[in-house]
Amino acid sequence: MKPTLILAFALAASLSAQDLPEKAASVLQQNCYACHGAGKMSGLDLRSREAMLAGGDRGPAVVPGKADSSRLYRFAAGLDKPSMPPGKTLPDAQLLVLREWINSGAEMKAAVVSKVDPAADSAAKAKLEERPITAAEKAFWAFQPVKRPAVPALGKTSPVDAFVTTTLQAKKLKAGPVASRRVLVRRAYLDLWGMPPTPEQVDRFVADKSPNAFAKLVDELLASPHYGERWGRHWLDVVRYADSGGFEYDNDKPNAWRYRDYVVRAFNTDKPYDQFVKEQIAGDEIAPNTEDGRIGPGYLRLGLENNVKNDMTRLDELDDLVATTSNAFMGMTVGCARCHNHKFDPIPQKDYYQMQAVFYPAKPLAYRLAPAAEVSAWEAAVKKIDDEQIKPLRAQIVALEKPYKDVIVAKKREALPEYMKLALRTPEAERTAGQKLNVIQIEKTSASDDDLVAAVTSADVARRAAIREQIQKVEESKPPMPIALSITEDSRKAPESHFLLRGAPGQFGSVMQPGVLTVAKWKEWDFPEPPADAKTSWRRKGFAEWLADKQNPLTPRVMVNRIWQNHFGEGIVRSPSNFGKTGDAPTHPELLDYLADEFVKSGWSIKTMHRLMMNSETYQRASDDIAANAAVDPENRLLWRMPRRRVEAEVIRDSILAVAGNLVDKLGGPAVFPYIDPALFQSSSKRSWAGKADTDPSTWRRSIYVFNKRSIPLPMLDIFDKPDSVTSCARRNRSTIAPQSLILMNNAFVAMEAEKFAERLRTLAGNDAAAQVRHAFRIALAREPSQQEMERSVAFVKAEPKGLVDLCQTMFNLNEFVYFP
Amino acid sequence: MINKDRFISRRDLLRTAGGGIGGLALADLLRAEGLQRVSPLAVQSPHFAAKAKAVISIFCYGGVSHVDTFDPKPELLKRQGETIPGKTIQVSQGTPGGLMPSSWQFKKHGQSGMDVSSLFPHVATKVDEIALIRSMYCTSNDHAPALYQMNTGFIQAGHPSMGSWLTYGLGSENQNLPGFVVFADWRGGPIGGAPNWSNGFMPAAYQGTPFRSAGDPIVDLKPPTEMTPERQQKWLRLLGQLNEEHQAKNPQDTELAARIRSYELAYQMQSSAVEAVELQKESAATRALYGLDEKPTEYVGRQCLMARRLVERGVRFVQIYSGGGNFTESWDAHFDLELNHGMHCAETDKPIAGLLTDLKSRGLLDSTLVIWHGEFGRMPISQRLNGRDHNPQGFSVWMAGGGVKGGTIHGATDEYGLNAVENRTSVNDLHATILHLMGMNHEKLTYPYNGRNMRLTDVAGSVIREIVA
Repeated sequence: MKPTLILAFALAASLSAQDLPEKAASVLQQNCYACHGAGKMSGLDLRSREAMLAGGDRGPAVVPGKADSSRLYRFAAGLDKPSMPPGKTLPDAQLLVLREWINSGAEMKAAVVSKVDPAADSAAKAKLEERPITAAEKAFWAFQPVKRPAVPALGKTSPVDAFVTTTLQAKKLKAGPVASRRVLVRRAYLDLWGMPPTPEQVDRFVADKSPNAFAKLVDELLASPHYGERWGRHWLDVVRYADSGGFEYDNDKPNAWRYRDYVVRAFNTDKPYDQFVKEQIAGDEIAPNTEDGRIGPGYLRLGLENNVKNDMTRLDELDDLVATTSNAFMGMTVGCARCHNHKFDPIPQKDYYQMQAVFYPAKPLAYRLAPAAEVSAWEAAVKKIDDEQIKPLRAQIVALEKPYKDVIVAKKREALPEYMKLALRTPEAERTAGQKLNVIQIEKTSASDDDLVAAVTSADVARRAAIREQIQKVEESKPPMPIALSITEDSRKAPESHFLLRGAPGQFGSVMQPGVLTVAKWKEWDFPEPPADAKTSWRRKGFAEWLADKQNPLTPRVMVNRIWQNHFGEGIVRSPSNFGKTGDAPTHPELLDYLADEFVKSGWSIKTMHRLMMNSETYQRASDDIAANAAVDPENRLLWRMPRRRVEAEVIRDSILAVAGNLVDKLGGPAVFPYIDPALFQSSSKRSWAGKADTDPSTWRRSIYVFNKRSIPLPMLDIFDKPDSVTSCARRNRSTIAPQSLILMNNAFVAMEAEKFAERLRTLAGNDAAAQVRHAFRIALAREPSQQEMERSVAFVKAEPKGLVDLCQTMFNLNEFVYFP
Repeated sequence: MINKDRFISRRDLLRTAGGGIGGLALADLLRAEGLQRVSPLAVQSPHFAAKAKAVISIFCYGGVSHVDTFDPKPELLKRQGETIPGKTIQVSQGTPGGLMPSSWQFKKHGQSGMDVSSLFPHVATKVDEIALIRSMYCTSNDHAPALYQMNTGFIQAGHPSMGSWLTYGLGSENQNLPGFVVFADWRGGPIGGAPNWSNGFMPAAYQGTPFRSAGDPIVDLKPPTEMTPERQQKWLRLLGQLNEEHQAKNPQDTELAARIRSYELAYQMQSSAVEAVELQKESAATRALYGLDEKPTEYVGRQCLMARRLVERGVRFVQIYSGGGNFTESWDAHFDLELNHGMHCAETDKPIAGLLTDLKSRGLLDSTLVIWHGEFGRMPISQRLNGRDHNPQGFSVWMAGGGVKGGTIHGATDEYGLNAVENRTSVNDLHATILHLMGMNHEKLTYPYNGRNMRLTDVAGSVIREIVA
């Protein structure tokens, strides 16, 4: 026998039965109620016998008389997992009290909860919600004000180079050479446009001998709308953009594309980033009379939308806003503080609920993008069509189906089981509760669609189809009205929201006021009082102004780091949406601060940042390995060369279209639907993909315009790691797998584009194989073929009947084609 | 702590792996075992020794009625048409009815004496291989979120599915086949679509590959017809040569080398994926066992037999959906339960039993975990006269092979089958148990994302020790 058990038996003798309830209450109070009191963690409340018997998510907590079968005892004794209380072992004496008390019936004198004074309880709750932040926590680098460092005096023209060279020198590394003109021009096009340059564009740049040729190229690329299509897509990753709502029906959001176009436009016009931030969080409060002010808050409408509406699903939607906003704009994981204080960062759970209070009043709004008078005229016109045309047609269908339905229902009633018939026969007053329910069901008997399909004659099926077609036509005749997914609130007075203990619905702590991230505050932040005629609470405005404030330590750092990441493959902070303790420290902290400071000083100009980064030698270096450097810094963290990396999914598809010469160069507008094999999406009748054939030019658009249906990803993009748009994506995966090769080898779209590329080459070079090969390399790779490449390719083209087409397909599959040079 | 070494090497594949392979011919790459090692699907050791090496999940989409199949409730007949005292039941469509008896007879089977209804006469002969959980519950009453939960642990789309976690954790035994394969019903896939076999935030390497049951198994496995294999092989050879020349500048770059190798794998997959599902090589006896040459078992029979062949060839996770589309097409018997379950059980009973028999006779049952489940159960009361509504509060799931204790019953629902009451088992518990049977500790199998170490089981789940042999 173990010593503890001997001790236990000795102690047992000293416990008298009538003391047990009180002793047990004291053990529970000391050890359990912090979580299983008002907090009801895992649904379990241990404050009354009834609540214990009812139990929590795992089942009843006690089986009176049987400690060994009671979860309370088994968890407390460590017999089952999770052992309770977490991280603590109860003293044997206390354990024994619980054991004896349960074995003696687990009686409680009175519900403990009734003894608690409500005022004291609320004060205790409020105290539990506090989580002070220490000076050391506050001193973490990401929360420090951005401090512009002196640029190291190394005689470099670019401050970026000065900082990067300093760290290289500290490790005695020598940076690699600057890349060739041809490499540079391809790099810049893939980076800023997401498509390779044409041979003419390459030649023009190569021929430009002026010292600022590259700077001119960068300016030129930034001035094109293709720039917004490319860099807007980076932002869409961060804000989990999609055109449907997920969950049971994955309903389409047919107007989401206006937000996508807004983002593209914002990048193209170099909208100051602070304004961009404010419009997305609170455009309706800040600039209610502008289109961007109404479309920008579409950001708040991009998340998953559950068709089930209850407290929990509402909390999940708010969680999406808190988590995404903190990831996207602040580089913080506030979402981790929903149920408890953040485990690693100084983010109190209260910060989460104060931030939740910011979004709590927000409600979806389909905003009609037209003046009020136009909107009401439109509403009247639509109502007239509904009343005068659609309703009578619908009535015709009802009338047509009625006789069939009557027969079906009568048959169903005849087939009822005897107990149901009995219910129907029983006089109403004498029916049992179950019979009453069954009678309601019987009375509601209806014909299902399947029943009707089987019953309706083909003549009537045709008649009905004709009426349905008419309805469809009338629907289509309705005048259009542009609609933006937007946001509104009920009034200037925000509804009350609460701290939620353990994040559980209904487990109210204190009433929450809107707030900002405590640890990142540089001063107390007062939310504005909305004017008397305001339609909304201005909570989002207050929060957005904090985010976009010049002194915010996070916002500018996070954004310049994202820009850097998209130019260089990795951020200066390699965990771009997590600037907290579990994230990576900056590889070049001074450079990060320099860029953040410049960003704000430039008027939050993203294009200024592109110029600053791209016009550096660091950006223009060759990407080739240098053995000596690789030995010291194999991951190239210090940037002695330009990182090599695979281009993104969209760049692969867009490059194929561009190189083949059939990219439809149209900007913006409703999304497009390329072909997807039905085997990949056939499911519920409520879910479909109106894919057009590969030969349909409407699909030859850039990939940013492909409809983002959450449950039906386009395989060509999905397989190359396009994110699933469920949560904010800070950095895409870059995998290399066989199914990617299968698509580029076998997919009919790729094969068709290879044919088109071959036609293009024939037009350019006739039947001259050498000229064809040369054009192929110049168009696809922005360079001349090497002698060996030329020989091999020409031999191939000449030897095979379909040699040129297959060479074109080869080009689409080359490592070089899908890599940044 | 975040397992950073592993994360980096697998997240981006090969960033840190060394070894010069520049200038190697494509064929030589095949022999470059060093590369095999760094493939994202390379075999990884489990956390501890375990019997199960592969999982076959048979997902009865729509929700199987437990009270008509594996969880007999005599009270439903005794009290037919009555209400449950003190309970008001909400239903998702129409109005709730009274208690509805099962139309099928239950009988005890095997040495264990497990009750199975007459809907599953063949599976009933296998009860001594089966560990039945009668106390499952989940947290959504809607199909798609409940499917997501059963597959990924979360009701929201966007998390990696069980197959992704297993291939991430254990890799795949056969690099020429996908590690995670999904078969849909011929009537369509399950509602919720691709997120059911999604890799979520993990790299695409861990995504489930949908397999078709006829024709080429994988979409885009073969080129358009005019591209003959010889022709394709020729341009792939040119591709290899050009890629090698490109790689010569950076021979140490294993990412580029891996991409060259991915073409070799893809090329091999074109034949190995077809070979894996070639059923004409199977004996007449085997075909008969799965009901391959008869209606209505032919379709599921093919899938079950293909599943066995895939598992035999080292595929880690195979999922077969029974039911697609809406209502009658799936197990979603809101009305006409007799017709619905009668049809779906007739389609699946013999193939599933055949699969268990075949695996056993080939010595594969010990290393293959077969799971039979829906996304939730069905109500004990009637809906639309002769149907049953969804019931997430209590339902049955069974497992066989792979180190489970056959002939055991875990947990119980109340006397009506409404709520799981004894040994309530969450989806997290089920997942923890499956991972355990595969040699993985569900608390240690993590993937870092957005500042957290994500798990299949989130922050919960305990292994159901009682059903582990």
